Amino acid sequence: MNSNFFTTVGATLLVSTVLLAGNTLASDDYDVKAFGPKSPIVWNTPVKVIFEHRTHTDEIGLECNACHGEIFAMQRGVAPKTGKLTMAALADGQFCGACHDGDTAFASDTNCTACHVVPDDPIIWTKPVKAVVFYHKVHTEEYGLECDSCHNEAFTMKVGAAEKSSNFTMKALYDGQYCGKCHDGDTAFASNTLCNTCHIGAKGYDRLMGVDPHAAAQGVDNGGH
Amino acid sequence: MDIKNLEKETNEGVESLPSDERRSFLKMGLAVTGVFLGGTVLSLTSVSTAKGGNSDSVVPVEGQYPYTKHYGMIMRQNKCVDCEKCLDACRETNHVPKGHGAWRTDIQERLTTIDGIEKREFRPILCNHCNRPPCVRVCPTKATYKDPETGIVVMDYKKCIGCKTCMAACPYNARYFSHDKYAIDKCNFCLDTRLAEGHKDTACAAACPADVRIFGDIKDTSTEIYQLLHEPDNKIWVIRPECGALPNVFYMNA
Repeated sequence: MNSNFFTTVGATLLVSTVLLAGNTLASDDYDVKAFGPKSPIVWNTPVKVIFEHRTHTDEIGLECNACHGEIFAMQRGVAPKTGKLTMAALADGQFCGACHDGDTAFASDTNCTACHVVPDDPIIWTKPVKAVVFYHKVHTEEYGLECDSCHNEAFTMKVGAAEKSSNFTMKALYDGQYCGKCHDGDTAFASNTLCNTCHIGAKGYDRLMGVDPHAAAQGVDNGGH
Repeated sequence: MDIKNLEKETNEGVESLPSDERRSFLKMGLAVTGVFLGGTVLSLTSVSTAKGGNSDSVVPVEGQYPYTKHYGMIMRQNKCVDCEKCLDACRETNHVPKGHGAWRTDIQERLTTIDGIEKREFRPILCNHCNRPPCVRVCPTKATYKDPETGIVVMDYKKCIGCKTCMAACPYNARYFSHDKYAIDKCNFCLDTRLAEGHKDTACAAACPADVRIFGDIKDTSTEIYQLLHEPDNKIWVIRPECGALPNVFYMNA
């Protein structure tokens, strides 16, 4: 009984010591005051971008006032609210572009995925027809395309921009615009073939969105007999 | 007649019947039996001359169209992307309610997975406006019939008693019970809503952005449907040919 009690106390103490030491070590490892917030800043406007303080301070050795001052306010969320945080502004030398000019640091029109994230979820277009699906990962990982392979002349980076254009039609694709830039039968399968590779239909859309199967609503199952 | 006295009468037999009377009686019996054997009592439709085509094709043979205008539709099936603009157009034009299994036209989907890659096929369906329509044959009140001018299978809502026998008979499940009309409703190729107003096509065909549905008079050699049907390179099929209804909705891949 006694020996059991001491063993338990001993084990608890040992574990606590290790944990405490671990905590102290961990907190020593990253100095929030010197290096800025530990977790990355995630902007969602205008598009999702991830910024790591640590990469810039701890690893590269920049001081806080290298950026916080004229370029970025210390306050959270100020830059996106200006509405001016765009790649065009960066190319102009504003915001990140102050350093990311190709001289001091890699230019803002290169190395996109250092800050931008390739969306996991498929892009689903519902205009002009419902519904067309596009998977970024298939194109970047399986076919090894770069962002600017498409985000150049074919597509802007902005969500929903293509859909808003009255020109986002199969006709335009046949003329080599949008997806038709590659889907011409040469580089990739022609856009007037294999329709249902991308066109998942209203039923496919409902399934992706987790809506009750369209078939049930339409009564394909001999409903009403 | 005094039945008690009648029982006492002796049977006079058939020998005393005049031969003409006997002959006409037998004729009537033979006629009734023959009619049942031939099936024309059940086939209340008048299109006994209707043909679906030669033995190895579902395409009608020229000169064998029983109607003045013979409307049909051909689906260029592999162009369908299930955008369902046709379904919306049909609902709007023909006031088809949503839900309750109500549809005049629908799109079926078949999903298959080959080597981990999902493949899908879409198939638009509607009433096949058969030359030998089982629904017409079974209707007890003649509420559904072939329009003698266009060959369209139409409904007389006033005559329909809602027994749903036609729904059970239809090989294509193309009929539903409309609670609004309190009668069976079905596709009529927009006969009242568009053709009567001078349009040349149905609402679904007009709405299709991929030109999947080609509607027209299969008797008229200048129509696109005629040309598609009779182009030798086109492989044409119909749904459920084995039921012998001789449908007028055809399918091909474009």
